[in-house]
Amino acid sequence: MTKKKKTNQDGVSGNWKTLAPKSSRRPASKAAFRKRMLGVGKFLILIIGLAAVGSVFWFFQNRSQSDSPPMDLTGPGAPVSSLSFRTNGVLHKRWFENWFGPLRGRSLMELDIEKIQSELIKEPQISFARVCRQFPATLKIELRERKPLLRICLRSKSKGEQTWLVSNDGTLYLGTCYSNASVSHLPFLSIKSQLLKPKSSGEWYEKLEGIPAVAPLLELARSEYPGFYQNWQIVSYQRPYDDDAGAHIHIKSGKVRSLRFSPRNFDAQLRRLKYLLYEPDFQRTKIVDSIDLSHDKSVFAKLTPS
Amino acid sequence: MSKIIGAVEIGTSQAKALIGEVAENGSLNVVGMASRPNEGMRKGEIVDFRKAAAAVHSALEDAEKMSGTTVDEVYLAQTGSHLKGLMLRGAASVASSDNRVDVTDLQRAAQEAKRKQPDEGRTYVHHVRTPILLDGRPVQDPVGMIGAKVDLGYWSIDGDDQAIKQALHVISNYSLEVKDLILSSIASSTMMAGPDLRRAGTLVIDMGAGVTDYALYRQGFVVSTGVVPVGGDHVTGDLSMGLRVLEPYAEKLKLEHGKAVPDPMDEGEDVWIIGNKTIGDRAIPRKAITDVIHVRIVELFEIISKELEGLLDPDELKGGILLTGGGSLLPGVEQIASKILGFSARRASFPSGIASELAQPENATVLGLLHYGLEDHGLPGRKKEEPEAGFIDKFRKMVGLGSPS
Repeated sequence: MTKKKKTNQDGVSGNWKTLAPKSSRRPASKAAFRKRMLGVGKFLILIIGLAAVGSVFWFFQNRSQSDSPPMDLTGPGAPVSSLSFRTNGVLHKRWFENWFGPLRGRSLMELDIEKIQSELIKEPQISFARVCRQFPATLKIELRERKPLLRICLRSKSKGEQTWLVSNDGTLYLGTCYSNASVSHLPFLSIKSQLLKPKSSGEWYEKLEGIPAVAPLLELARSEYPGFYQNWQIVSYQRPYDDDAGAHIHIKSGKVRSLRFSPRNFDAQLRRLKYLLYEPDFQRTKIVDSIDLSHDKSVFAKLTPS
Repeated sequence: MSKIIGAVEIGTSQAKALIGEVAENGSLNVVGMASRPNEGMRKGEIVDFRKAAAAVHSALEDAEKMSGTTVDEVYLAQTGSHLKGLMLRGAASVASSDNRVDVTDLQRAAQEAKRKQPDEGRTYVHHVRTPILLDGRPVQDPVGMIGAKVDLGYWSIDGDDQAIKQALHVISNYSLEVKDLILSSIASSTMMAGPDLRRAGTLVIDMGAGVTDYALYRQGFVVSTGVVPVGGDHVTGDLSMGLRVLEPYAEKLKLEHGKAVPDPMDEGEDVWIIGNKTIGDRAIPRKAITDVIHVRIVELFEIISKELEGLLDPDELKGGILLTGGGSLLPGVEQIASKILGFSARRASFPSGIASELAQPENATVLGLLHYGLEDHGLPGRKKEEPEAGFIDKFRKMVGLGSPS
């Protein structure tokens, strides 16, 4: 008597698919061996291909993250056709074109405006810069420049004597685009050489400490008492801070050889100086040796005997 | 997108591989074909796995090279004396309240029919559906019709597990999957007997080297199939023994001078075994060759006649007998078939549109495999299922790791 087979889940018995080998064993012929090697070869090529694609992707991603400009997803874009340049100082459009290089042929999207902006701010004459793209092809530059308050002559071995400008925050810079007329009336600054601290790059100097304390006096004199200011020649300060009991600012000028201010309440001191200089005795005197305005309401003046 | 499919016939004398491209409109173009001598088979069964595998794999490799593509799955022909056919019947009552037949009714009937289990050590290879009966009336597609009971039959062929496993292993060893097993006789019938002939009723006899397959059709459906373990190789063996010549010479004599029916013209005519009259060459009467072949061919058709006893009804076999396979090329074989089986027999011809180099009787099975595989043999109202291969399956195929199923 013969035994019967069990039915499968569908109720259908004896399906030949259950007899199919679970896995292929050793290839039984050279053709089967070649087929398997071909399969393995295809697999290896696939792996190598994927690895190559991955490497290329990784390489470009790394490169774009390190030093390349931002990825341009919008295509090259239109070339820069105009430059909008605004400043509160003396710099002009041509200066920017010289400073940056030719814009012709470069598209707006190619320009790294953040880099341009940071490079502009590194210029000591510029205190603030904003660079932006303006549709469709305009590069917009907005600058705020430092205003020169003083000048100082510095001599170096390599560059000889150079006149530097000093802004109200103490920044030293070689002024660009200034006319002679605009800087020739600026008083010279006389300070000890120890106060000048070159920057690590050696090209520029650190801001001068104390100038912010002196600047209000000079700005006030320039705006309110231009007659005095234009005669001021050398300004020096040694102890300019008002928390110092002996603080004072020393100015040399044409008529008064030595003016001494305290670093507070400049308006009152200048009013006293004006009053004093309009005194008949002072008007008659060609040269005043010294006026000391630093002692509050007391003014000490030394007239040169005629 | 076109689809590439393959067909493999592991024949007793030749292993054949065919690669076809199924276009989007469903048309089939044969793009590669190759055959290799197979020394690993006897009477349709694998007796030397390595030799059989080498022949099949080489044929597949050549066909792939010819087509310039690779194939992932193949239809595999099944033959051999281990295959036995049996009619299975199932019935189901129509479940719906309005007595309209639904696909599920047919499925239940099909399940019922296939429930019968083969003997231990045997497995079903192929289920061929027979006409559907609705309340006893044969109908083409009963879905939507009104009735009480549907009957369904399957001509089911089961085979020996080990023989089937060997054939499947030959294919899986080449990193391919078997999409379906198809009986050789049904594959060659699909190719050689068109739908009209099958409807009229026809007996297709595929005379192979190791075995002879036959399939009997009535009203377009298979009624019986069988495998007779007699083929062209037996004729060659008979000639070798009867005429005392080596098998290669016997094969040569069969192909060049063989006839199935004695011819009076051959009286007194001799043929040389080798042909160059060197040492060992000798003359043999041509009549002797024919006599040896005749005996074997008569025996073959007598066996078929005996197996089909009671099924050969003249009213149901108006299409006559079609002979195909390499053995059908033997002159006079149709006359013997007609005489013994009692019906007109003729050599089958290929339908038009098949290239002349492919349209050879010995290619009937492998060509039929592709055509049969492409046809929908499912139940009416059910779409042909095309399982989607997942990524893992595709990857496994690519690296040749075989199938988990």
